[in-house]
Order: sequence, then C-alpha cells, then structure tokens
Amino acid sequence: MIFELLAGNLTHGLLLGGVYGVATMGLSLIFGVINVVNVGHGQFIMVGAFVTLILFTALGLSPVIAIPVALIIGMALGFLFFYTVMRKLIKAPELASLLATFAVGILLEELAKLIFGADFRGYYWDVGKIILPFTTIPMSKLYAFIGSIAIALFLYFWFSKTRSGTAVRSVIEDSEGARVCGVNVDWIYALSFAIGIGITVMSGVLLTMFIPVGINPYMGGAYTLKAFVIAVLGGLTSPYGAFFAGLIFGLVENGAYTLFALIPGVAPFSLTVSLAFWMLFFLLLVKPTGLLGKK
Amino acid sequence: MLKVENIESGYGSMQVLWGPSLEVKKGSITSLLGPNGAGKTTLLMTILGSIEPWGGKITYEDREVTHLPTHKKVDLGISLVPEGKHLFVDMSVHENLVMGAYRKEALKNIDDSLELVYSLFPVLKERDRQKAGTLSGGEQQMLTIARAIMTKPKMIMLDEPSQGLAPKLVAEVFETIQKLEAEFGLTILLVEQNVVASLNAASYVYILHEGRIKVEGNPEDIRGSADIREAYLGI
Repeated sequence: MIFELLAGNLTHGLLLGGVYGVATMGLSLIFGVINVVNVGHGQFIMVGAFVTLILFTALGLSPVIAIPVALIIGMALGFLFFYTVMRKLIKAPELASLLATFAVGILLEELAKLIFGADFRGYYWDVGKIILPFTTIPMSKLYAFIGSIAIALFLYFWFSKTRSGTAVRSVIEDSEGARVCGVNVDWIYALSFAIGIGITVMSGVLLTMFIPVGINPYMGGAYTLKAFVIAVLGGLTSPYGAFFAGLIFGLVENGAYTLFALIPGVAPFSLTVSLAFWMLFFLLLVKPTGLLGKK
Repeated sequence: MLKVENIESGYGSMQVLWGPSLEVKKGSITSLLGPNGAGKTTLLMTILGSIEPWGGKITYEDREVTHLPTHKKVDLGISLVPEGKHLFVDMSVHENLVMGAYRKEALKNIDDSLELVYSLFPVLKERDRQKAGTLSGGEQQMLTIARAIMTKPKMIMLDEPSQGLAPKLVAEVFETIQKLEAEFGLTILLVEQNVVASLNAASYVYILHEGRIKVEGNPEDIRGSADIREAYLGI
C-alpha cells in the first residue's frame, strides 16, 4: 500500500521535476552569464501561467500553442527589462541587481493583480489519462514532461552546436576572453537574459498542468525559492545541471511528502514546503558548489 | 599603423592613464615597458575597447577608432593576448581555437589559420581534444597566442606573454613573437616585464610610468642610458 503510494507520488514527482528543471535552467543561464541572481524569477513563471490561462479560457487555444507564445512574450519581457533595468547593473554591486530584480518581480505581481485580480484560477485541459497499476497520470502532465525534455534538449543543442550558444558558453567561462575573440559580450548579455526569461515563462506554461486551481498573481515566490535550491543543487551556472537537479528535486519533494504523511500528528504539506529550506541549508553546509557542480 | 594620442582612462573614478601617446609602425615590434601599476594593461585594454577611453584619440590604419566597440576592432584586425590568459578552461584546445575565429571574416579562413597555428605550436595539435585547463602553463600561453592568431589579426598586442614561464619557455615565446613579425608580417605591440628580452626584440621602445610616457626611443639608446635604466627599468 505504502509502496504503491510512494511509486505513484514519485512518478508525479518526476514529471513535475522536469518542469522544475526547465524553470531553473532560466535562472542558471542568467546567473551564469551576467552573474545576477534573479529574485523575481518566480514572477516570470506566473506570467507564463497567466498566458496559458488566457489563451485557453479566452481564446480556446491549447497549452501546446501557449509554449511558443510564452517564449516570445518572455523574450520580449527579457529584452525590455534588460535594456531598461539590468544593463547598467551588471557591473554594479550585487545588492543593486538583487533589489532591481526584486522590484521587477513585485511590479509583475501587482500588474497581474490589477489585470486579473487576486483570485485563484485554473483551467482543465482534458486530453485523457494513463492508468498505471499504482497511479493514474493525466496525459496533460505527461505532455508537460515531454515538453520539458524537449525544451532542455533544445537548449542543449543551442548551447553546444550553434555559434551564438558557443559564444554564450565562452562568456560564462571568461567574458574577457570572449571579448578578445570578438564576441559582442554586451549583446550576449542581452540575448542570454532574454532567453533565460523566455525559458522561465515557458516553464510557467508547463507548470499549469500540475496546479489545476493554483494560478494566482502571488504564486511565483514559492517557485523562486525552489529554483534557488535546485540551482544550487545543480551547480548554479550549469543549465544542464539545473535540469537534472530539477528531476531530483521533484522526486525528493514528492517522495518526502508520502513519507511525512506516515508520521502521526504531522501536516505533511507544510513539512514538504519547508523541505526546500532544509535541503538548501544542508547543501550549502556540505557542498557549497552544488551536488552536480565542479570544484 | 596604430596611433594613440593623449589617451585618458581608468576604472570607476580612478584615473590610470594621464594622456600617454604612442605610435606602432606597421610590420614592427614596439615594446611598452614600465613597472607594475604603470597602466600598461589598462592602455592595451583601452586600445581594444574593453575599457572605454575618457579622452584622447586612437587611430588605426588612418581611421579613428577611439570609441569603436571591441568586436568591431577585432574585425579590423586588432588582437590582444591578455594578461592572465583568459582561456576557456572547460573547452578543448580545438574549441578555444575555434572561438578565436569567432568573427565572420576569421571564420572564412579558419582552416588556414588552424594549419598555421598547429605548425607554429605542434604541441597544441597533439592536445587538441584536451581541455585547455589541463595544459601546462607554457602550453596555455601558446594557446592564448594561437587563439589571438586565429582572429586573423594585422596587429597583435601581447600583455606579459612570458609571465610565470620557465626561462627556456620565455625564450620560446620571444622567438615566436619575432617569427610572427618576420615571417608573417604582423605588427606587434609588446608589454613585458622582461626588459632585456624586450629591448632585444623591439625596434622602438616606450616607457610608461604612472600613466604617462616618460621615455621613448630606440632600444640601443635606452640600453645605453644608465639614467633611464636606473630610473624606470631597474636594470
């Protein structure tokens, strides 16, 4: 019985982990290239969730279409915030960029509240389900997982095979070295920020498959925290590490939920929420460069 | 080929360069000497544009390039072997060289450039699949020079290329620099701590001190003047 439950939750955890992974790839890319911790990260996930909701409920468009739309909107927002806010802050002290991204996050939250109100919303994308011996998986979650793998592979391909992706890697490794090779480093900063935000907004689309009634202007903060933990787990500057760390985090989170539920007198959900903190705490104590990180 | 006039720049509010001027003649080796902290690295970075000049003028091949962004200067054939190498240590030797040919013009000639650098530095060919971070200090310095050659430059600025190398390797680096000038017609601006070797290699010498050019002249004259050697070069 408990094993069935655990197997079921781990399956869902793995599927959700893919979405966590993609969400964190955006954070890692931005941190890796411009050394800015995007404290407003989760709010961009929220933007993706609302994009999906609007397309589905107002225009009747499937979330599959929302994915490219989210990428375009995300990249547009990324370029907008880069050239208006971030560009001057790359060389500024860290506190300045932390405050700026925090402010951007609040701005997005309040704009969303102004437009959509503070209610929890959701939609139901009925594309069938798969019945396994130990659990039932809605096809929408499976699609989200496949989508997350596709996005991760796409990013991997861009990174390792294309000229601009290689330039991004060179800037992550040594921006001064990239500059003497003739890489337009300032453009790579802008492009990476835009793609990082684009990926993050796309992950918001995928996330909606897991939160049937959880779309809300203030939903982002929780995901910022999770993304931080996953990013540290994955070694901070490595987008691949981030994806695999996302899978691990999804498994741990959902597995732990099942186990916490066995402890009498404990509210398993609240304990699971605090799990991210505990993981971050122990990780920084034991291996500050991240489980999958180098050095 | 390159003319720097009264250039001023620095970091934040700290001024480092107080209007030095210098000229690098086509097809020659020009040496820039001076003690630590004189502003030599800052001057090279300002010429390449990774530090924005505050004032003054930079002319390259009769064209004003004072505020041209770095990647455009690389297009024009200006290349820098930076101090501290700035290699991509997680990439292979081959990938580092390919990064050198990042600009479109350089990319067109990538096969010829690769052949050239592998003939100059055969050891890099042996290690071309190895990560740059696993090379020895001397090999890394060769790779840094090779990466600069991959940009298809007309002028190479080298910032302390022999720093931290064993005497035998220092001699090799200087041999390579002289070869680049003599056999490939490249123009060289050389910043070095190794005064003796620089005076031997260069055809004209500038001495930078506290952000200003204090002395300039032929290497023979500088070698001949006990005052200059004592005041600025410590030899």
